Amino acid sequence: MQPLRIALAQIAPRLGDLEANLARHHELIAAARERGAGLVVFPELGLTGYQLQDLAADVAMGLDDPRLGGLARAARGLSAVVSFVEESADHRLFIAAALLEDGEVRHVHRKVHLPTYGLFDERRFFAPGDVVRAAPSRLGVGLGLAVCEDFWHVSVPQLLALDGAHLLVNVSSSPGRDLASSHEVGLGTAASWRTLMRTYAQLTTSFVVFCNRVGVDESLSFWGGSEVIGPTGAPVFGAPMFEEGLFTCDIELGDVRRERIALPLLRDERPELIAREWDRIVAGRAGLGEDAGP
Amino acid sequence: MSAVGAGQGGPAGGPLFELPEELAIDTGVARRVIAEFVRGQLRQAGFERAVLGLSGGIDSALVAFLVAEAIGPERLLCVMMPYRTSSPESRGDAESVVAALGCASELVEITAMVDGYFGAEGAPGAGGPDALEASALRRGNFMARMRMATLYDRSVTWRGLVVGTGNKTESLIGYTTLFGDSACAFNPIGDLYKSQVRQLAAAMGVPEAVIRKAPSADLWPGQTDEAEAGFSYPVLDRLLFWRIDRRRSVDETVAMGFDRALVERVDRMVAGAEFKRQVPPIAKLGPRTAGVDYLYPRRRPGSARS
Repeated sequence: MQPLRIALAQIAPRLGDLEANLARHHELIAAARERGAGLVVFPELGLTGYQLQDLAADVAMGLDDPRLGGLARAARGLSAVVSFVEESADHRLFIAAALLEDGEVRHVHRKVHLPTYGLFDERRFFAPGDVVRAAPSRLGVGLGLAVCEDFWHVSVPQLLALDGAHLLVNVSSSPGRDLASSHEVGLGTAASWRTLMRTYAQLTTSFVVFCNRVGVDESLSFWGGSEVIGPTGAPVFGAPMFEEGLFTCDIELGDVRRERIALPLLRDERPELIAREWDRIVAGRAGLGEDAGP
Repeated sequence: MSAVGAGQGGPAGGPLFELPEELAIDTGVARRVIAEFVRGQLRQAGFERAVLGLSGGIDSALVAFLVAEAIGPERLLCVMMPYRTSSPESRGDAESVVAALGCASELVEITAMVDGYFGAEGAPGAGGPDALEASALRRGNFMARMRMATLYDRSVTWRGLVVGTGNKTESLIGYTTLFGDSACAFNPIGDLYKSQVRQLAAAMGVPEAVIRKAPSADLWPGQTDEAEAGFSYPVLDRLLFWRIDRRRSVDETVAMGFDRALVERVDRMVAGAEFKRQVPPIAKLGPRTAGVDYLYPRRRPGSARS
């Protein structure tokens, strides 16, 4: 397999300014192409900014929006992952990540886990997605898209890998917090994410691509530090924290096969067992199972 | 608890300040985040310059250093606003900060403004004869609000946003004047405890005399925060950190070694100051009400000053 060059667009979106962010996307897609990238990844809500609140409806796009189509056409010859507010036909708003290939929207992932605690208030403004599915890609391997908090639930990377993803792509707007010198790289959030990425890559024997934004929305500072982790759990590339830029690195997609042959964790997963136990737990929680709690 | 290394010890021999271990921050990351924050706030508002009140104390000195690092000292105006009883030492310390940074500065004496209200030397002012006997608290609050009014006026002439200089400790216990020193367009250090302010100030090269001296509202000679409130900042900071950031209960903090009376007193101070940290409530009457169900970012497309 040819090496794949990944471009991480670690940008600082302008809050609520769809036109300015669109222009920036076009610019960086062109730059990624020039630098020989096969895949370019933008962060969560890179087209709109994160702390939208009531602006969410103003910047929402349907999947047939010509601006999205324009981006898809601009990305022809590449695989591009972009993120925006998606408005469905029945006017629900989702935080979406789309895979653009061959001039069209190839696959859309709607964020399934919307954090609504602490500094987050996403469920107030958005509807959660209901589907976690890997997508085939022109890269010749399955691609699994997830958005930020989706990766704080172990089931999401696991489902994506079992569904055929070799490359797990998480796009994020992770606000930096818990500043303490005792944390790796000085920031609690960054330390947690770094642990998660390595763990998921190793347990799913997949590449993990993490693209996190930088810049400031209101009180929140986003820390960047985008990464690519190999299927052994070893980091392949790390972008600097807090710095805006287009960062590229090369990966060998063949590493996935090598690792899965050497360490057949996915082969040995027991999805039927998990499904059975989950069915029991779900029924129990609904008060239906034999183990129904008080 | 641990102190900073001997390398930062001053001529007086001891360490510059006491830094509780659990509060130690990575100052490089803090500087990076705050510089970006300052630039982001200004850009979103369509401003290029900033103005702040420089008292000679560590909080405003640190903010001056942070803002100068973020946007360059030539875009920062530090306004010194002494009252006639303010300590000359404070003035000297403020001037040493201005000299170290090479930023613009201005002196605005607030004596006439304050005395114009409370009166002076037996002659009543706009506040009436009773105001001659006003308490130190009333005077202190009034001074803080005159400084605020001055800064917001200079904000227009300097064409810069007013930067807040209050720290997390004083905000939590309510040791601030509502619409006075707490008034600002944005605050870069409002989530740092006093001990962390000291750590960052030392890392940024704030003059040592400013870091070393006892924090004071400088309302009367010899006044210090710690004497007035009856606790030391390192102890108070640790207590607030465990109670609030780490969600420890009263009993748990007492078990950690904090004095129960202190814990309960600080709890009351924090609860009593809740109103100072929030936007005043508006009676909900219409379909959409600011802060209730009309929720927009403070700055959005179209809101930047053109």
